[in-house]
Amino acid sequence: MSTAPPSEAEALARAAGGDAEAFETLVSPHLPMLYNSILRILGEPADAQDALQEALLAIHRDLPRFEGRSAFSSWAYRICINNALMLRRSRVRRREDAVEDLMSQEGDDGRPRETGAFLPWSTEAEAPAELERAELRAKMMAVLNRMSDAQRAVFILRDLEDWTYEDIAERLGVTQAVVRQRLHRARLFLQERMRPFVLGRPR
Amino acid sequence: MNVPFLPTCGEVHEHLTEYLDGAMPLRRRLAYRIHLLLCHACSELARALRALPGFAKRVLAPPPAPAPPEAQRALQETLRILKAKPKD
Repeated sequence: MSTAPPSEAEALARAAGGDAEAFETLVSPHLPMLYNSILRILGEPADAQDALQEALLAIHRDLPRFEGRSAFSSWAYRICINNALMLRRSRVRRREDAVEDLMSQEGDDGRPRETGAFLPWSTEAEAPAELERAELRAKMMAVLNRMSDAQRAVFILRDLEDWTYEDIAERLGVTQAVVRQRLHRARLFLQERMRPFVLGRPR
Repeated sequence: MNVPFLPTCGEVHEHLTEYLDGAMPLRRRLAYRIHLLLCHACSELARALRALPGFAKRVLAPPPAPAPPEAQRALQETLRILKAKPKD
């Protein structure tokens, strides 16, 4: 007899008992959301794939402890974000040298730019009217990569993922005042470097 | 800008997120508000900081798509590991 696909609750119970097919049924509807959340943090599809796989294994491992106080998707999302942040911490440093190479080391006059000088694309005169979104995205990722880990984490969680200050403070083990201060620094850092685009209308 | 009883531009620059979050006590919030009404540079910065989260979300949002191949591969690899692993 053919049976209807199991409900999320059924799939949860069976997956927690070790049923791999039920686990697939459980996570498949949320896969794009989970993957995209991770990709936003890591920036690279290959890294996101690794992080998602680790997160899925963690979700499976912790399923018996899932108490259903939040939606499964929210709970799984948290695990994915945690995994992505951990992976980012270990991997992003390796890329910073490469990112540095993209930054011009000299000003237009041939003298070295000051530390913290605006990136070449942030000057009004050089801002192309029609920057491709992908290009803009790559630039923003490069700026994000230049932030400190502490500031980047807060910016991503608050401004991209809409976590509350309270949740961020708890997750990072700092006070809400520190979260706000880091967020402010991160916003200023980003705003200074993306200034011509922030109030414009990127495509 | 430097007016008695009002925060300086430097102070506004330093605490703007706190102001925008509505996290300041009333008197201080009012002083910041007056500063922003009078100071073009600071009000532009406030406008930019308000716009930044939405801007960043738009720019960084991955193009909408059904589960990308990387996500499918992660799931398939996870299922392979789960099936290969003896149950606890």
